[in-house]
Amino acid sequence: MSIANKLQTLPKTAIYGILILCTSLPLFFQIPLPNNPDQASKDFFREMMTLDASKPVLLSSDWTNSTRGESKGQMKSVLRMFMRRGQKFVLYSTADPQAPQVALDVIAEVNRERIKKNQEPYKRFEDYVVLGFFPNAEAAINGLANDFKATVKGRKDFPVGKEATDVFQSPVLKDVDSIKDFQMVVVVTASKTSNFTVERVYGKTKLAFAVTGVMGPETKVYYQSKQLVGFVNGLKGAFDIEQLMEKGLNVDSSASFRDDTHPAPVEGFKGDDNVGQGTRYFPTLHFAMALMIIMVILGNVGMVLAKKDSSKKELGGR
Amino acid sequence: MFNLLPIAFWSDPAGSSALTGKIVFGLLLGVGLLFALTKVPTQMRRSIVFGGTFLSGLFYVLFYLWPQPITRGPNDVPRDAVEGVAFWLKDSFSVVVNFTQIISGFMLGLGVYSLLRIHLTRIAKGHKDAFFSFVLLGSMVAMAFFAYGDYILRLDPVKAQELENPDKWGPLTRGRDLLFDGLLQQMDAAMFSIIAFFILSAAYRAFRVRSVEATILLATALLVILSLMGLVADRVDGFFGGLVANDPNDFFENFKLTTLRNFIGDNLQTPSINGITLGTGIGALAMGLRIWLGLEKGSGN
Repeated sequence: MSIANKLQTLPKTAIYGILILCTSLPLFFQIPLPNNPDQASKDFFREMMTLDASKPVLLSSDWTNSTRGESKGQMKSVLRMFMRRGQKFVLYSTADPQAPQVALDVIAEVNRERIKKNQEPYKRFEDYVVLGFFPNAEAAINGLANDFKATVKGRKDFPVGKEATDVFQSPVLKDVDSIKDFQMVVVVTASKTSNFTVERVYGKTKLAFAVTGVMGPETKVYYQSKQLVGFVNGLKGAFDIEQLMEKGLNVDSSASFRDDTHPAPVEGFKGDDNVGQGTRYFPTLHFAMALMIIMVILGNVGMVLAKKDSSKKELGGR
Repeated sequence: MFNLLPIAFWSDPAGSSALTGKIVFGLLLGVGLLFALTKVPTQMRRSIVFGGTFLSGLFYVLFYLWPQPITRGPNDVPRDAVEGVAFWLKDSFSVVVNFTQIISGFMLGLGVYSLLRIHLTRIAKGHKDAFFSFVLLGSMVAMAFFAYGDYILRLDPVKAQELENPDKWGPLTRGRDLLFDGLLQQMDAAMFSIIAFFILSAAYRAFRVRSVEATILLATALLVILSLMGLVADRVDGFFGGLVANDPNDFFENFKLTTLRNFIGDNLQTPSINGITLGTGIGALAMGLRIWLGLEKGSGN
């Protein structure tokens, strides 16, 4: 077999083996990588860090563990920002019946971090309310946008140490009548619920999304049209937000962490536990993308060599 | 009237026998209605389905198109028929949304019924894949048993607080943790990660510069991928950044990877997506109108 053919027909098992090595080995080492956060991530961070802590935020968690590589890092950063700033929030899910439990597991994880640092854990019902799962995403978001109170009516949550209680008795929802009473809707999603939210909620309150990498391009459309105040895109977005939480925006002299469109400094949480999945998995993404580029180049070099060989043979035959 | 009826009828306290009785009555009524619908003559079915579809669609069409009062106080009464309809639409909205939620909830039940019917039949008939059917049904029953058992335990506030400590977990909570967090969630992630293998294999075998279009696509993809690699982007941008000497209007500024990616995203990708979205939106609207008005071939049959 010629080199051209060999380059074009590398065995699948070898390719898969290399991919496994490339994606798993970087997880065992701390590889510091430079970063230039996207403008959308900077806007997301600034909006999250300048929220008024006295008004609640509506948080939609529409992801499960299938996209935890991206979504969990984003969700954890959002929760860390909320809890460190004392921001009350209301959690709901519309995409998947598993989603509320997955979100609750992340809340518990962040709470464990707080307990380790002798900080007060976030209390269910007092600091955040769980509305649970709504089976029909479009109708639910439509209902929440047009008549929040009636759509949520009858839902109960579990205060710590007490029986299930109507969610409107929670201090989080005490001043909420409509979606306009939330100062922002944050959607952490791996599904179409982001589109439904823009269609139904835009114009009623601010919107910010954290989406998976494949959803980035379609979400950017809404960011460009200013329907979103910011968004975090995939693993790069998770990495951006973790870095911004550590370094702040317009705080130090680094050009990457400056935003000339909004020059006011936004402090992060320097020295706190800001590193998460974004920072840990970003080197893995690097290696996977580098491997992809190499494989595509190999395949194309093989194709070009094969063409040359065949044209030589043709000339020799004449 | 429509908006007040459900409140009055279903307002018994949760867990009361009156409410349970009403739920059972409602369920039986629903099953009876469905059974009656199956007995309707074939010629009438189309009209019934069309009528139901049209009325359901009409509500949302009116909700969005009917003029609404700018402000409305809790004690306001409509001044005329137009305002009366507007008030009715607004008040009925939550009922319709809840109705949709309930129907969607029933669809989950329908899925469970369908799974049970197919796989129990396979097991009963000794199908060659009966073992897999058994595993599926066994997993479903086990998950429901442990998850519901754990849920019931957590309804007791004292027990719920105790269960925050994993050392105090009993067999039900341990079972739920093993099945949901230990198995389902991990398998979910593992299944999704397989995509990486397919993408790499497909890119290697299919991404060839066979034509001008393929070359443009490949070059664009390469630029975007490189711009996402922080290390590469940092070095390339640093190199061109050194040439432009902090002048954002310098010609070399255009060669920075982040500038190129933003150009591709803002000027090529977003307009393309907008075009596709507009096209699919118009298509969905046309399809929606056809279904709503009963014009779709075979609708109602």
